[in-house]
Amino acid sequence: MSIHNYDVVIVGAGPGGSTAAKEAAESGLKTIFFERGRKPGEKNSSGSGLGPRMWLDFDIMKELSPDVCPSMRAGTAARHYFVDSNDEVASYIMTRPTSSVNYEPAKSFITMNIYRSEFDPWLAKFATDAGAELKTSTLIVGLLKEDGKVVGVIDEKGEKYRGIVIGADGVISTVARESGLRSKWAQKQVTITIQYDFEVSPKKIDDIMGDETLAVWWSAVFPAAYQVFFNDGFHIGFGNWMSWWDKNPLHYLNRCIKLKYFQRLVRILDAKPREFQSHLLPWQGEPYDTHTDNVMLIGDAGGFPCPLEAEGMYPAMITGRAAAEVAAEAISEGDTSIEFLSRYDTAWKKTSVGEDFEAGSELYSIWKALPFSPRENMSWIVPLVSEVLGGIIDWSEPHPKRIRQVARTIKGYLPKIIPMLMKEILPLLTASLGEEKMDLVTNPEKLLAAMPEVELALAQAFMSADDEEE
Amino acid sequence: MDIRINDLVKRIPGTGDFISIDKEKCTMCERCLIICVANLWKKKKDHVYIVDDYQSKCLECAACYQVCEPGAIDFQYPAGGTGVVFEKG
Ligand SMILES: Cc1cc2nc3c(=O)[nH]c(=O)nc-3n(C[C@H](O)[C@H](O)[C@H](O)COP(=O)(O)OP(=O)(O)OC[C@H]3O[C@@H](n4cnc5c(N)ncnc54)[C@H](O)[C@@H]3O)c2cc1C
Ligand code: SF4
Ligand code: SF4
Repeated sequence: MSIHNYDVVIVGAGPGGSTAAKEAAESGLKTIFFERGRKPGEKNSSGSGLGPRMWLDFDIMKELSPDVCPSMRAGTAARHYFVDSNDEVASYIMTRPTSSVNYEPAKSFITMNIYRSEFDPWLAKFATDAGAELKTSTLIVGLLKEDGKVVGVIDEKGEKYRGIVIGADGVISTVARESGLRSKWAQKQVTITIQYDFEVSPKKIDDIMGDETLAVWWSAVFPAAYQVFFNDGFHIGFGNWMSWWDKNPLHYLNRCIKLKYFQRLVRILDAKPREFQSHLLPWQGEPYDTHTDNVMLIGDAGGFPCPLEAEGMYPAMITGRAAAEVAAEAISEGDTSIEFLSRYDTAWKKTSVGEDFEAGSELYSIWKALPFSPRENMSWIVPLVSEVLGGIIDWSEPHPKRIRQVARTIKGYLPKIIPMLMKEILPLLTASLGEEKMDLVTNPEKLLAAMPEVELALAQAFMSADDEEE
Repeated sequence: MDIRINDLVKRIPGTGDFISIDKEKCTMCERCLIICVANLWKKKKDHVYIVDDYQSKCLECAACYQVCEPGAIDFQYPAGGTGVVFEKG
């Protein structure tokens, strides 16, 4: 078989691969990208909400419209349901982008919800329009090596393509495996994420949900589930690290679907199950081993989803752009060694994705302790939140007595709350504020010197609550 | 509401074999049995196996491959242009 020569060969036509292909082609590099599906997107499964940062960093996003992506629906407001240990929705609240959000479109929506089968081909077209070549229905099975070094890729028919390799091939990355960068994820670096798609008429969604088109089902009996509304349907899904599961993931997702409250929603929306998907999703505190001689890993292949909530499409596009820039520099300077490609780490660390990873391990740890620990922690957080919310409107007792009852109940949770604050929240605040400011905020003496009345008020509230018996 | 997930997945046939198990390496930990949402891994008295018709039921998630610590499960994606198609992914 002959060898086809390119400047850049990119494995995968997801958001990462297509962005890298577009930017590489635009900088004049001879670029090819490969997709195992018959068209981009048909192998992929996401929530799928696009974060507003995409509109800041990628001008093309302004062209995304229902003409090209009919499934579009803005996730303007989010519902947060709190499910207790008895499979009961104990409380819920609704939130919108808050007043401190300061740019468009982030003021208008939390996420823009789209199906990957529409979004991925739309994005790939920008790359082919820029001159990149796309080969679909083509599985890359190995890397072309000379003297032990990677010089290109090999497809399932044995065709060889030479060039600097960008691994955009997602969570199970042939490029990572064959280049020796990573044989497999550790079980705590990757989640299994499964979801149902339900079909719903657009009018029902408009009438019943209005603009509340995102929901999180925080729960004491299953890992937090997300519900994402599209023009004519919704996803309900969730994930957790591979090491977490004691029963089949489907058992837990069906527990969410079977909630009385969820079933009522399904009935009033007249929602019908339409598709089911299972996919892995990397979720870790810090990307590492992102490149070697002539190879860079972007997006899921490099482990770039956000360490808190695993938003992954934006990081894939940002790292795709960074890799394309570094590829152009490497080619013009004739050096694609691991040393030269360390510029890739420097480049992504300077971006908004890099900033997320500055507190990566702290953010990861919080998510692990909260939504991903239903039995250990959500089992007390749900009743705590519900006590606060439900305690507000309650005519069962004289109000001063109710306030004391609520305060006493909250006090009962302090042995859980305080270790949680110390273990999870303080390290995050320290990572974001720095030691000096943290000292001011957390040193009780300094704090109380500033506000002695705080201590008095707290003491009084809890003392009188203690005195009172049922 | 009982939903059969296999009714909710479309496939292009012609994948060929893409998952295999090396019985020598298997420690019978049963992680693959727990994790596979399509329920394709089974246990007989002395060994673990994947069902014969897995090609027409597998979701290509690679969870079995990832979860297998001893590396007994080999997984390659099926041939390009075949296998699972997510229209609403
Ligand atoms: C259920 C779920 C929900 C999610 N929700 C969200 C969300 O709401 N918002 C968000 O931003 N992120 C979400 N994510 C994460 C997001 O989907 C990923 O981070 C993102 O898709 C990564 O993009 P990528 O381009 O790196 O990889 P992918 O999108 O995985 O693309 C890789 C591409 O490479 C192809 N490929 C793989 N191997 C080969 C090969 N050997 N040869 C040829 N082609 C190959 C694949 O078919 C695929 O098209 C979610 C993930 C999951 C699983
Ligand atoms: S996960 Fe691997 S070792 Fe464990 S039972 Fe399955 S095949 Fe065997
Ligand atoms: S790839 Fe996923 S669906 Fe297929 S056998 Fe493995 S775990 Fe089951």
